[in-house]
Amino acid sequence: MKKFTKEMVDDYADKLLIGLTEEENQMVLDEFNIIDESMELLTKIPNISSVPPMTHALDDFTYVLREDDAEESLPIEDILKNCDNYEDREVVVPRIVGEAHE
Amino acid sequence: MNKTIEELHAMLQNEEITSEELVKEALEKSHYVQKYCNAFVTIMDDAKGGKVTDSLLSGIPFGIKDNYATKGILTTGSSNTLKNYVPVFSATAILNLEKHGAIPVNKTTMDEFGMGGTGTTGHTGNVYNPWDLKRMCAGSSAGSAAAVAAGVYPFALGSDTGDSIRKPAAFTGIVGYKPTYGMISRYGLFPFASSLDHCGCLTRSVKDAAIVVDAMKGIDAKDETTWDSKDIHLYESLDGNVSNKKLFYIKEIANIDNYKEASEELREHLKNFHAKLDLLRKKGVTIDEVSFDEKLLNAIPSVYICLSCAEATSNMSNLTGIIFGERGAGDNYHDMIKDYRTHGFSSLIKRRFVIGSYILQKENQEKYFVNAQRIRRLIVDKMKELFQTYDGLILPVSVGGAPYIDGSRDYITNSETKVLEEHLQIGNFGGFPSITIPSGFINGLPVGLNITGNCYDDANVLNMAYALEEEMPYKNQIAKIKEDENERV
Repeated sequence: MKKFTKEMVDDYADKLLIGLTEEENQMVLDEFNIIDESMELLTKIPNISSVPPMTHALDDFTYVLREDDAEESLPIEDILKNCDNYEDREVVVPRIVGEAHE
Repeated sequence: MNKTIEELHAMLQNEEITSEELVKEALEKSHYVQKYCNAFVTIMDDAKGGKVTDSLLSGIPFGIKDNYATKGILTTGSSNTLKNYVPVFSATAILNLEKHGAIPVNKTTMDEFGMGGTGTTGHTGNVYNPWDLKRMCAGSSAGSAAAVAAGVYPFALGSDTGDSIRKPAAFTGIVGYKPTYGMISRYGLFPFASSLDHCGCLTRSVKDAAIVVDAMKGIDAKDETTWDSKDIHLYESLDGNVSNKKLFYIKEIANIDNYKEASEELREHLKNFHAKLDLLRKKGVTIDEVSFDEKLLNAIPSVYICLSCAEATSNMSNLTGIIFGERGAGDNYHDMIKDYRTHGFSSLIKRRFVIGSYILQKENQEKYFVNAQRIRRLIVDKMKELFQTYDGLILPVSVGGAPYIDGSRDYITNSETKVLEEHLQIGNFGGFPSITIPSGFINGLPVGLNITGNCYDDANVLNMAYALEEEMPYKNQIAKIKEDENERV
Protein backbone atom coordinates (compact mmCIF):
# COMPACT_ATOMS: atom_id res chain seq x y z
CA MET A 1 0.00 0.00 0.00
CA LYS A 2 1.28 3.44 -0.86
CA LYS A 3 2.06 5.45 2.23
CA PHE A 4 1.63 8.79 0.49
CA THR A 5 -1.04 9.58 -2.06
CA LYS A 6 -1.60 12.28 -4.63
CA GLU A 7 -4.58 13.52 -2.61
CA MET A 8 -2.46 13.88 0.53
CA VAL A 9 0.14 15.91 -1.38
CA ASP A 10 -2.53 18.17 -2.87
CA ASP A 11 -4.02 18.65 0.57
CA TYR A 12 -0.70 19.73 2.09
CA ALA A 13 -0.10 22.10 -0.81
CA ASP A 14 -3.57 23.55 -0.45
CA LYS A 15 -2.97 24.21 3.25
CA LEU A 16 -0.17 26.54 2.13
CA LEU A 17 -2.41 28.08 -0.54
CA ILE A 18 -0.25 26.59 -3.27
CA GLY A 19 -1.53 24.73 -6.34
CA LEU A 20 0.54 21.90 -7.87
CA THR A 21 0.68 20.46 -11.38
CA GLU A 22 0.52 16.69 -11.85
CA GLU A 23 4.29 16.59 -12.42
CA GLU A 24 5.02 18.64 -9.30
CA ASN A 25 2.78 16.38 -7.27
CA GLN A 26 4.62 13.28 -8.50
CA MET A 27 8.03 14.75 -7.65
CA VAL A 28 6.91 15.46 -4.09
CA LEU A 29 5.61 11.90 -3.81
CA ASP A 30 8.96 10.48 -4.98
CA GLU A 31 10.90 12.63 -2.49
CA PHE A 32 8.63 11.73 0.41
CA ASN A 33 9.37 8.05 -0.02
CA ILE A 34 13.14 8.62 0.13
CA ILE A 35 12.94 10.96 3.14
CA ASP A 36 10.70 8.52 4.92
CA GLU A 37 13.09 5.60 4.35
CA SER A 38 15.99 7.53 5.85
CA MET A 39 14.00 8.86 8.78
CA GLU A 40 12.69 5.41 9.62
CA LEU A 41 16.26 4.18 9.84
CA LEU A 42 17.14 6.90 12.30
CA THR A 43 14.26 6.38 14.62
CA LYS A 44 15.94 3.03 15.29
CA ILE A 45 19.06 4.67 16.77
CA PRO A 46 19.03 3.70 20.46
CA ASN A 47 17.73 6.40 22.79
CA ILE A 48 17.22 8.89 19.96
CA SER A 49 14.17 10.20 21.78
CA SER A 50 16.34 11.24 24.72
CA VAL A 51 18.56 13.49 22.55
CA PRO A 52 17.65 17.15 23.05
CA PRO A 53 16.55 18.65 19.71
CA MET A 54 19.01 21.17 18.29
CA THR A 55 17.07 24.23 17.24
CA HIS A 56 19.88 26.68 16.71
CA ALA A 57 23.29 26.61 15.05
CA LEU A 58 25.15 27.91 18.11
CA ASP A 59 24.94 25.98 21.38
CA ASP A 60 26.13 28.91 23.44
CA PHE A 61 23.60 31.29 21.98
CA THR A 62 22.08 33.68 24.52
CA TYR A 63 19.53 36.39 24.10
CA VAL A 64 20.72 39.75 25.28
CA LEU A 65 18.00 42.15 26.32
CA ARG A 66 18.80 45.68 25.31
CA GLU A 67 17.22 48.92 26.34
CA ASP A 68 14.28 50.05 24.26
CA ASP A 69 15.40 52.97 22.16
CA ALA A 70 12.94 54.95 20.11
CA GLU A 71 13.87 54.94 16.43
CA GLU A 72 12.31 56.51 13.41
CA SER A 73 10.25 54.02 11.40
CA LEU A 74 10.49 53.62 7.65
CA PRO A 75 8.15 56.04 5.86
CA ILE A 76 4.83 54.30 5.10
CA GLU A 77 4.63 56.09 1.75
CA ASP A 78 7.90 54.43 0.68
CA ILE A 79 6.82 51.00 1.87
CA LEU A 80 3.53 51.23 -0.02
CA LYS A 81 5.39 51.69 -3.29
CA ASN A 82 5.74 47.87 -3.35
CA CYS A 83 1.99 47.38 -2.87
CA ASP A 84 -0.29 47.03 -5.91
CA ASN A 85 -3.45 48.36 -4.27
CA TYR A 86 -3.60 51.00 -1.54
CA GLU A 87 -5.44 54.17 -0.63
CA ASP A 88 -3.75 56.94 1.28
CA ARG A 89 -1.73 55.09 3.95
CA GLU A 90 -3.66 51.82 3.92
CA VAL A 91 -3.54 48.58 1.93
CA VAL A 92 -6.80 47.74 0.15
CA VAL A 93 -8.00 44.12 0.50
CA PRO A 94 -11.33 42.37 -0.13
CA ARG A 95 -13.74 42.41 2.80
CA ILE A 96 -13.19 39.33 4.99
CA VAL A 97 -15.85 39.77 7.70
CA GLY A 98 -19.57 40.41 7.50
CA GLU A 99 -21.53 41.93 4.63
CA ALA A 100 -21.08 45.36 3.24
CA HIS A 101 -23.23 47.93 5.06
CA GLU A 102 -24.45 50.23 2.37
CA MET B 1 40.17 43.12 -12.87
CA ASN B 2 42.35 40.03 -12.74
CA LYS B 3 44.08 41.36 -9.65
CA THR B 4 43.66 40.64 -5.96
CA ILE B 5 42.07 43.20 -3.66
CA GLU B 6 45.48 44.10 -2.22
CA GLU B 7 46.89 44.66 -5.71
CA LEU B 8 43.93 46.75 -6.81
CA HIS B 9 44.13 48.80 -3.62
CA ALA B 10 47.82 49.51 -4.21
CA MET B 11 47.09 50.55 -7.80
CA LEU B 12 44.31 52.85 -6.63
CA GLN B 13 46.49 54.44 -3.98
CA ASN B 14 49.35 54.88 -6.43
CA GLU B 15 46.91 56.42 -8.91
CA GLU B 16 47.80 53.84 -11.56
CA ILE B 17 44.08 53.38 -11.96
CA THR B 18 40.97 55.16 -10.70
CA SER B 19 37.91 53.73 -9.00
CA GLU B 20 35.84 55.14 -11.87
CA GLU B 21 37.87 53.07 -14.33
CA LEU B 22 37.47 49.94 -12.22
CA VAL B 23 33.71 50.39 -11.98
CA LYS B 24 33.48 51.03 -15.73
CA GLU B 25 35.48 47.88 -16.42
CA ALA B 26 33.28 45.84 -14.04
CA LEU B 27 30.13 47.10 -15.78
CA GLU B 28 31.48 46.31 -19.24
CA LYS B 29 32.54 42.87 -18.08
CA SER B 30 29.12 42.38 -16.47
CA HIS B 31 27.41 42.87 -19.84
CA TYR B 32 29.89 40.54 -21.52
CA VAL B 33 29.41 37.80 -18.89
CA GLN B 34 25.64 38.30 -18.94
CA LYS B 35 25.62 37.47 -22.65
CA TYR B 36 27.19 34.07 -22.03
CA CYS B 37 26.44 33.13 -18.41
CA ASN B 38 23.16 34.96 -17.63
CA ALA B 39 24.60 35.72 -14.21
CA PHE B 40 22.72 38.90 -13.29
CA VAL B 41 19.22 40.05 -12.46
CA THR B 42 20.29 43.70 -12.48
CA ILE B 43 23.35 45.51 -13.78
CA MET B 44 23.68 48.96 -12.20
CA ASP B 45 24.83 50.91 -15.23
CA ASP B 46 24.70 54.18 -13.30
CA ALA B 47 27.25 52.99 -10.68
CA LYS B 48 30.04 55.48 -10.16
CA GLY B 49 33.56 55.22 -8.80
CA GLY B 50 34.17 56.13 -5.19
CA LYS B 51 36.71 57.70 -2.89
CA VAL B 52 39.91 55.79 -2.22
CA THR B 53 40.85 55.64 1.45
CA ASP B 54 43.06 53.42 3.57
CA SER B 55 40.35 50.75 3.52
CA LEU B 56 41.40 47.89 1.26
CA LEU B 57 37.92 47.75 -0.27
CA SER B 58 37.56 51.45 -1.02
CA GLY B 59 36.73 52.17 -4.63
CA ILE B 60 36.50 48.47 -5.53
CA PRO B 61 33.43 47.10 -7.35
CA PHE B 62 31.57 44.01 -6.20
CA GLY B 63 28.43 41.97 -6.82
CA ILE B 64 25.49 41.25 -4.53
CA LYS B 65 23.41 38.10 -4.56
CA ASP B 66 19.83 39.09 -5.25
CA ASN B 67 18.54 38.00 -1.84
CA TYR B 68 20.30 40.86 -0.04
CA ALA B 69 17.97 43.85 0.27
CA THR B 70 19.43 46.90 -1.48
CA LYS B 71 17.67 50.20 -0.92
CA GLY B 72 16.19 51.60 -4.11
CA ILE B 73 17.56 48.73 -6.23
CA LEU B 74 15.43 45.86 -7.53
CA THR B 75 15.80 42.82 -5.25
CA THR B 76 13.93 39.77 -6.45
CA GLY B 77 15.43 36.72 -4.74
CA SER B 78 15.28 35.44 -8.33
CA SER B 79 11.57 34.83 -7.81
CA ASN B 80 8.63 35.82 -9.98
CA THR B 81 6.79 36.56 -6.75
CA LEU B 82 9.09 39.55 -6.16
CA LYS B 83 10.01 40.44 -9.72
CA ASN B 84 9.24 44.14 -9.14
CA TYR B 85 10.21 44.45 -5.47
CA VAL B 86 12.37 47.45 -4.59
CA PRO B 87 13.44 47.47 -0.90
CA VAL B 88 13.28 50.61 1.18
CA PHE B 89 16.30 49.61 3.24
CA SER B 90 19.64 47.87 2.72
CA ALA B 91 20.96 44.74 4.42
CA THR B 92 23.44 45.44 7.22
CA ALA B 93 26.19 43.49 5.43
CA ILE B 94 25.80 45.77 2.40
CA LEU B 95 25.90 48.90 4.53
CA ASN B 96 29.05 47.60 6.24
CA LEU B 97 30.77 47.07 2.88
CA GLU B 98 29.67 50.48 1.67
CA LYS B 99 31.12 52.03 4.85
CA HIS B 100 34.44 50.57 3.69
CA GLY B 101 33.94 52.23 0.32
CA ALA B 102 33.17 49.15 -1.78
CA ILE B 103 30.91 49.81 -4.77
CA PRO B 104 28.07 47.50 -5.81
CA VAL B 105 27.71 47.11 -9.57
CA ASN B 106 25.21 44.28 -10.03
CA LYS B 107 22.72 41.92 -8.40
CA THR B 108 23.45 38.30 -9.15
CA THR B 109 21.09 35.53 -10.18
CA MET B 110 20.40 32.70 -7.76
CA ASP B 111 18.16 29.72 -7.30
CA GLU B 112 14.76 31.02 -6.27
CA PHE B 113 15.03 32.30 -2.67
CA GLY B 114 18.20 30.23 -2.29
CA MET B 115 16.29 26.97 -2.34
CA GLY B 116 18.22 25.08 -4.96
CA GLY B 117 21.62 23.79 -5.89
CA THR B 118 21.74 24.13 -9.65
CA GLY B 119 21.43 27.81 -10.55
CA THR B 120 18.56 26.88 -12.85
CA THR B 121 15.48 27.86 -10.87
CA GLY B 122 15.75 31.66 -10.91
CA HIS B 123 13.01 33.60 -12.69
CA THR B 124 15.48 35.01 -15.23
CA GLY B 125 16.66 31.57 -16.37
CA ASN B 126 19.68 29.29 -16.05
CA VAL B 127 23.10 30.51 -14.97
CA TYR B 128 25.89 29.01 -17.09
CA ASN B 129 29.37 28.08 -15.95
CA PRO B 130 32.05 30.28 -17.53
CA TRP B 131 34.45 27.32 -17.73
CA ASP B 132 31.97 25.39 -19.88
CA LEU B 133 28.74 27.04 -20.93
CA LYS B 134 26.89 23.76 -21.12
CA ARG B 135 27.40 23.18 -17.42
CA MET B 136 25.88 24.55 -14.22
CA CYS B 137 27.64 26.62 -11.58
CA ALA B 138 25.68 24.82 -8.84
CA GLY B 139 23.71 27.04 -6.54
CA SER B 140 22.21 28.84 -5.08
CA SER B 141 24.86 31.60 -5.36
CA ALA B 142 25.28 30.76 -9.05
CA GLY B 143 25.50 34.24 -10.54
CA SER B 144 27.99 35.42 -7.91
CA ALA B 145 30.19 32.39 -8.61
CA ALA B 146 30.04 32.82 -12.40
CA ALA B 147 30.83 36.54 -12.16
CA VAL B 148 33.81 36.19 -9.81
CA ALA B 149 35.18 33.23 -11.79
CA ALA B 150 34.87 35.18 -15.05
CA GLY B 151 36.72 38.17 -13.58
CA VAL B 152 33.93 40.74 -13.38
CA TYR B 153 35.27 41.89 -10.01
CA PRO B 154 37.30 40.39 -7.16
CA PHE B 155 34.36 39.46 -4.97
CA ALA B 156 30.63 38.95 -4.73
CA LEU B 157 28.30 38.19 -1.85
CA GLY B 158 26.60 34.86 -1.37
CA SER B 159 24.42 33.18 1.17
CA ASP B 160 24.71 29.59 2.34
CA THR B 161 21.99 27.45 3.93
CA GLY B 162 23.28 24.02 2.84
CA ASP B 163 26.31 24.65 0.61
CA SER B 164 25.13 27.56 -1.54
CA ILE B 165 28.42 29.44 -1.40
CA ARG B 166 30.83 26.55 -1.08
CA LYS B 167 29.64 24.23 -3.84
CA PRO B 168 29.34 26.91 -6.56
CA ALA B 169 32.86 28.01 -5.58
CA ALA B 170 34.14 24.47 -6.24
CA PHE B 171 32.38 24.21 -9.60
CA THR B 172 33.75 27.54 -10.79
CA GLY B 173 37.31 27.24 -9.48
CA ILE B 174 37.13 30.00 -6.88
CA VAL B 175 37.02 30.49 -3.10
CA GLY B 176 33.74 30.37 -1.16
CA TYR B 177 33.68 31.19 2.54
CA LYS B 178 30.87 31.19 5.06
CA PRO B 179 32.01 32.28 8.51
CA THR B 180 30.68 31.12 11.86
CA TYR B 181 26.91 31.57 12.22
CA GLY B 182 26.10 35.06 13.48
CA MET B 183 29.44 36.64 12.56
CA ILE B 184 27.70 38.52 9.74
CA SER B 185 24.27 40.04 10.32
CA ARG B 186 21.42 38.47 8.37
CA TYR B 187 19.30 41.61 8.65
CA GLY B 188 18.08 42.32 5.14
CA LEU B 189 18.92 38.85 3.82
CA PHE B 190 15.78 37.12 2.56
CA PRO B 191 15.32 34.25 5.02
CA PHE B 192 15.24 30.67 3.76
CA ALA B 193 15.89 28.51 6.85
CA SER B 194 16.86 30.85 9.66
CA SER B 195 18.73 28.37 11.85
CA LEU B 196 20.92 27.36 8.88
CA ASP B 197 21.26 30.61 6.86
CA HIS B 198 24.69 32.22 6.69
CA CYS B 199 26.01 35.27 4.83
CA GLY B 200 29.40 35.00 3.16
CA CYS B 201 31.42 35.73 0.06
CA LEU B 202 32.92 34.34 -3.12
CA THR B 203 36.42 35.48 -4.08
CA ARG B 204 39.44 34.26 -6.03
CA SER B 205 41.78 33.98 -3.03
CA VAL B 206 41.61 33.18 0.66
CA LYS B 207 43.13 36.54 1.53
CA ASP B 208 40.42 38.35 -0.41
CA ALA B 209 37.77 36.34 1.46
CA ALA B 210 39.34 37.40 4.75
CA ILE B 211 39.34 41.06 3.70
CA VAL B 212 35.71 40.96 2.58
CA VAL B 213 34.34 39.19 5.67
CA ASP B 214 36.35 41.47 7.95
CA ALA B 215 34.32 44.29 6.41
CA MET B 216 30.95 42.51 6.36
CA LYS B 217 30.95 41.20 9.92
CA GLY B 218 29.96 42.80 13.20
CA ILE B 219 27.33 42.69 15.90
CA ASP B 220 24.02 44.18 14.80
CA ALA B 221 21.10 45.24 16.97
CA LYS B 222 18.82 44.29 14.09
CA ASP B 223 19.92 40.63 14.16
CA GLU B 224 20.02 39.25 17.68
CA THR B 225 21.87 36.12 16.53
CA THR B 226 24.97 38.20 15.80
CA TRP B 227 27.85 38.23 18.28
CA ASP B 228 30.76 40.54 18.91
CA SER B 229 33.68 39.61 16.65
CA LYS B 230 35.72 42.79 17.05
CA ASP B 231 38.70 40.79 18.33
CA ILE B 232 38.74 38.60 15.23
CA HIS B 233 40.94 40.02 12.48
CA LEU B 234 40.89 37.53 9.65
CA TYR B 235 43.16 39.35 7.21
CA GLU B 236 45.80 40.14 9.80
CA SER B 237 45.73 36.55 11.09
CA LEU B 238 46.88 35.00 7.82
CA ASP B 239 50.51 33.99 8.17
CA GLY B 240 50.54 30.58 6.47
CA ASN B 241 52.15 28.93 9.48
CA VAL B 242 50.34 25.64 9.94
CA SER B 243 53.01 23.43 11.45
CA ASN B 244 51.55 21.31 14.26
CA LYS B 245 48.01 21.79 13.01
CA LYS B 246 45.81 18.71 12.88
CA LEU B 247 43.14 17.92 10.31
CA PHE B 248 40.96 14.89 9.72
CA TYR B 249 38.97 13.58 6.81
CA ILE B 250 36.01 11.24 7.03
CA LYS B 251 36.86 7.77 5.81
CA GLU B 252 33.31 6.99 4.68
CA ILE B 253 33.33 10.04 2.39
CA ALA B 254 36.88 10.39 1.09
CA ASN B 255 38.08 6.80 0.79
CA ILE B 256 37.55 5.37 -2.70
CA ASP B 257 36.93 1.89 -1.27
CA ASN B 258 33.49 3.09 -0.14
CA TYR B 259 32.27 3.50 -3.70
CA LYS B 260 31.42 0.26 -5.48
CA GLU B 261 30.32 2.09 -8.61
CA ALA B 262 32.97 4.80 -8.63
CA SER B 263 33.26 6.67 -11.91
CA GLU B 264 36.65 7.52 -13.37
CA GLU B 265 35.93 11.15 -12.50
CA LEU B 266 35.35 10.30 -8.85
CA ARG B 267 38.53 8.23 -8.74
CA GLU B 268 40.51 11.15 -10.16
CA HIS B 269 38.84 13.60 -7.79
CA LEU B 270 39.67 11.58 -4.68
CA LYS B 271 43.19 10.87 -5.92
CA ASN B 272 43.69 14.59 -6.45
CA PHE B 273 42.26 15.30 -2.99
CA HIS B 274 44.71 12.94 -1.29
CA ALA B 275 47.60 14.45 -3.27
CA LYS B 276 46.62 17.85 -1.87
CA LEU B 277 46.62 16.43 1.65
CA ASP B 278 50.25 15.51 1.07
CA LEU B 279 51.00 19.16 0.31
CA LEU B 280 49.67 20.09 3.74
CA ARG B 281 51.57 17.26 5.41
CA LYS B 282 54.77 18.67 3.91
CA LYS B 283 53.97 21.91 5.70
CA GLY B 284 53.81 20.13 9.02
CA VAL B 285 50.08 19.40 9.22
CA THR B 286 49.00 16.06 10.68
CA ILE B 287 46.06 14.56 8.78
CA ASP B 288 44.19 11.53 10.06
CA GLU B 289 41.50 9.35 8.56
CA VAL B 290 38.57 9.23 10.98
CA SER B 291 35.54 6.97 10.83
CA PHE B 292 32.12 8.58 11.34
CA ASP B 293 28.86 6.76 12.13
CA GLU B 294 27.46 5.89 8.72
CA LYS B 295 23.88 6.06 9.91
CA LEU B 296 24.42 9.69 10.85
CA LEU B 297 26.24 10.47 7.61
CA ASN B 298 23.51 8.89 5.52
CA ALA B 299 20.93 10.98 7.33
CA ILE B 300 22.56 14.33 6.45
CA PRO B 301 20.54 15.01 3.27
CA SER B 302 17.25 14.08 4.91
CA VAL B 303 17.95 16.10 8.05
CA TYR B 304 18.76 19.05 5.85
CA ILE B 305 15.65 18.69 3.73
CA CYS B 306 13.43 18.32 6.79
CA LEU B 307 14.82 21.29 8.68
CA SER B 308 15.26 23.62 5.72
CA CYS B 309 11.85 22.89 4.21
CA ALA B 310 10.09 23.23 7.56
CA GLU B 311 11.79 26.52 8.38
CA ALA B 312 11.23 27.79 4.83
CA THR B 313 7.53 27.02 5.07
CA SER B 314 7.32 29.25 8.09
CA ASN B 315 9.44 31.98 6.52
CA MET B 316 7.33 32.13 3.34
CA SER B 317 4.17 33.07 5.18
CA ASN B 318 4.61 36.77 4.39
CA LEU B 319 4.72 36.09 0.64
CA THR B 320 1.08 36.88 -0.03
CA GLY B 321 1.21 39.39 -2.87
CA ILE B 322 -0.98 41.68 -0.78
CA ILE B 323 1.35 44.03 1.10
CA PHE B 324 4.17 43.65 -1.42
CA GLY B 325 4.63 41.59 -4.58
CA GLU B 326 2.32 41.41 -7.57
CA ARG B 327 -1.31 41.10 -6.46
CA GLY B 328 -2.85 37.75 -7.48
CA ALA B 329 -6.29 37.36 -9.06
CA GLY B 330 -9.30 36.40 -6.95
CA ASP B 331 -12.44 37.67 -5.25
CA ASN B 332 -11.14 37.02 -1.75
CA TYR B 333 -7.75 37.11 -0.02
CA HIS B 334 -7.54 33.31 0.04
CA ASP B 335 -7.83 33.00 -3.73
CA MET B 336 -5.57 35.99 -4.29
CA ILE B 337 -2.74 34.48 -2.24
CA LYS B 338 -3.18 31.06 -3.85
CA ASP B 339 -3.07 32.55 -7.33
CA TYR B 340 0.04 34.59 -6.43
CA ARG B 341 1.89 31.58 -5.01
CA THR B 342 0.77 29.00 -7.57
CA HIS B 343 1.85 31.12 -10.52
CA GLY B 344 4.76 32.87 -8.82
CA PHE B 345 6.79 30.01 -7.33
CA SER B 346 8.88 27.64 -9.43
CA SER B 347 8.21 23.91 -9.26
CA LEU B 348 11.23 23.26 -7.05
CA ILE B 349 10.30 25.53 -4.21
CA LYS B 350 6.65 24.59 -4.37
CA ARG B 351 7.75 21.02 -3.77
CA ARG B 352 9.98 22.09 -0.90
CA PHE B 353 7.23 24.11 0.74
CA VAL B 354 4.88 21.17 0.53
CA ILE B 355 7.44 18.87 2.14
CA GLY B 356 7.82 21.47 4.90
CA SER B 357 4.09 21.68 5.38
CA TYR B 358 3.83 17.91 5.70
CA ILE B 359 6.71 17.73 8.17
CA LEU B 360 5.15 20.40 10.37
CA GLN B 361 1.72 18.77 10.61
CA LYS B 362 1.05 17.91 14.24
CA GLU B 363 1.01 14.17 13.61
CA ASN B 364 4.41 14.28 11.82
CA GLN B 365 6.39 16.72 13.89
CA GLU B 366 7.96 14.23 16.27
CA LYS B 367 8.89 11.66 13.64
CA TYR B 368 10.27 14.08 11.08
CA PHE B 369 11.00 17.54 12.37
CA VAL B 370 12.04 16.83 15.97
CA ASN B 371 14.01 13.72 15.02
CA ALA B 372 15.85 15.74 12.39
CA GLN B 373 16.72 18.28 15.09
CA ARG B 374 17.94 15.44 17.32
CA ILE B 375 20.10 13.97 14.58
CA ARG B 376 21.43 17.44 13.88
CA ARG B 377 22.62 17.54 17.48
CA LEU B 378 24.22 14.09 17.28
CA ILE B 379 26.15 15.11 14.16
CA VAL B 380 27.20 18.46 15.63
CA ASP B 381 28.19 16.91 18.98
CA LYS B 382 30.38 14.39 17.17
CA MET B 383 32.01 17.17 15.18
CA LYS B 384 32.64 19.22 18.32
CA GLU B 385 34.17 16.17 19.97
CA LEU B 386 36.52 15.80 16.99
CA PHE B 387 37.34 19.51 17.08
CA GLN B 388 38.72 18.93 20.59
CA THR B 389 41.52 16.97 18.87
CA TYR B 390 41.59 18.50 15.41
CA ASP B 391 41.76 22.01 14.00
CA GLY B 392 39.42 21.11 11.20
CA LEU B 393 37.77 18.70 8.81
CA ILE B 394 39.05 18.54 5.23
CA LEU B 395 37.02 16.92 2.47
CA PRO B 396 36.60 17.00 -1.30
CA VAL B 397 33.56 18.89 -2.59
CA SER B 398 31.06 16.89 -4.65
CA VAL B 399 31.96 13.97 -6.91
CA GLY B 400 33.97 16.03 -9.38
CA GLY B 401 33.42 18.95 -11.73
CA ALA B 402 30.20 20.77 -12.60
CA PRO B 403 27.48 18.58 -14.15
CA TYR B 404 25.76 19.43 -17.42
CA ILE B 405 22.70 21.62 -17.07
CA ASP B 406 20.78 19.54 -19.56
CA GLY B 407 19.16 16.64 -17.74
CA SER B 408 20.11 17.89 -14.27
CA ARG B 409 17.51 17.80 -11.55
CA ASP B 410 17.57 19.33 -8.13
CA TYR B 411 16.19 16.29 -6.51
CA ILE B 412 16.88 14.04 -3.56
CA THR B 413 18.47 10.73 -4.49
CA ASN B 414 19.65 7.67 -2.65
CA SER B 415 22.86 7.12 -4.63
CA GLU B 416 26.06 5.95 -2.97
CA THR B 417 27.60 9.39 -3.51
CA LYS B 418 24.79 11.34 -1.83
CA VAL B 419 26.85 12.06 1.30
CA LEU B 420 29.83 13.20 -0.76
CA GLU B 421 27.45 15.56 -2.55
CA GLU B 422 25.79 16.90 0.59
CA HIS B 423 28.32 16.78 3.44
CA LEU B 424 28.88 20.54 3.40
CA GLN B 425 25.51 20.78 5.18
CA ILE B 426 27.36 19.73 8.36
CA GLY B 427 28.82 23.23 8.37
CA ASN B 428 25.31 24.71 8.50
CA PHE B 429 24.05 22.29 11.15
CA GLY B 430 26.79 23.45 13.55
CA GLY B 431 27.22 27.03 12.35
CA PHE B 432 30.86 26.11 11.64
CA PRO B 433 33.24 28.32 9.66
CA SER B 434 33.78 26.61 6.33
CA ILE B 435 35.78 27.48 3.22
CA THR B 436 36.07 25.91 -0.21
CA ILE B 437 39.19 26.50 -2.29
CA PRO B 438 40.02 25.34 -5.81
CA SER B 439 42.15 22.20 -5.81
CA GLY B 440 42.67 21.34 -9.46
CA PHE B 441 41.01 20.31 -12.69
CA ILE B 442 39.42 17.08 -13.83
CA ASN B 443 38.47 16.73 -17.47
CA GLY B 444 39.12 20.44 -17.89
CA LEU B 445 36.70 21.42 -15.13
CA PRO B 446 37.67 22.97 -11.80
CA VAL B 447 37.19 20.97 -8.60
CA GLY B 448 37.47 22.06 -4.99
CA LEU B 449 38.12 20.94 -1.46
CA ASN B 450 36.69 22.25 1.78
CA ILE B 451 38.03 22.96 5.25
CA THR B 452 35.57 23.30 8.13
CA GLY B 453 36.49 24.13 11.73
CA ASN B 454 34.94 24.82 15.08
CA CYS B 455 32.75 27.83 15.78
CA TYR B 456 34.62 31.11 16.27
CA ASP B 457 37.83 29.52 14.96
CA ASP B 458 37.53 31.25 11.59
CA ALA B 459 41.04 32.67 11.61
CA ASN B 460 42.53 29.19 12.05
CA VAL B 461 40.35 27.71 9.30
CA LEU B 462 41.26 30.48 6.87
CA ASN B 463 44.93 30.21 7.69
CA MET B 464 44.99 26.49 6.88
CA ALA B 465 43.20 27.17 3.59
CA TYR B 466 45.65 30.01 2.91
CA ALA B 467 48.65 27.76 3.54
CA LEU B 468 47.36 25.12 1.14
CA GLU B 469 46.39 27.69 -1.47
CA GLU B 470 49.98 28.92 -1.48
CA GLU B 471 51.14 25.44 -2.53
CA MET B 472 48.80 25.24 -5.52
CA PRO B 473 48.63 27.24 -8.78
CA TYR B 474 44.90 28.07 -8.66
CA LYS B 475 44.85 31.32 -6.71
CA ASN B 476 43.15 34.14 -8.58
CA GLN B 477 42.51 32.01 -11.66
CA ILE B 478 39.97 33.40 -14.12
CA ALA B 479 37.75 31.41 -16.47
CA LYS B 480 38.08 32.32 -20.11
CA ILE B 481 34.69 32.04 -21.75
CA LYS B 482 34.84 30.09 -25.01
CA GLU B 483 32.89 32.52 -27.16
CA ASP B 484 33.00 30.36 -30.26
CA GLU B 485 31.36 27.49 -28.44
CA ASN B 486 28.07 29.27 -28.30
CA GLU B 487 26.39 26.11 -27.14
CA ARG B 488 24.38 27.20 -24.18
CA VAL B 489 21.54 24.80 -23.50
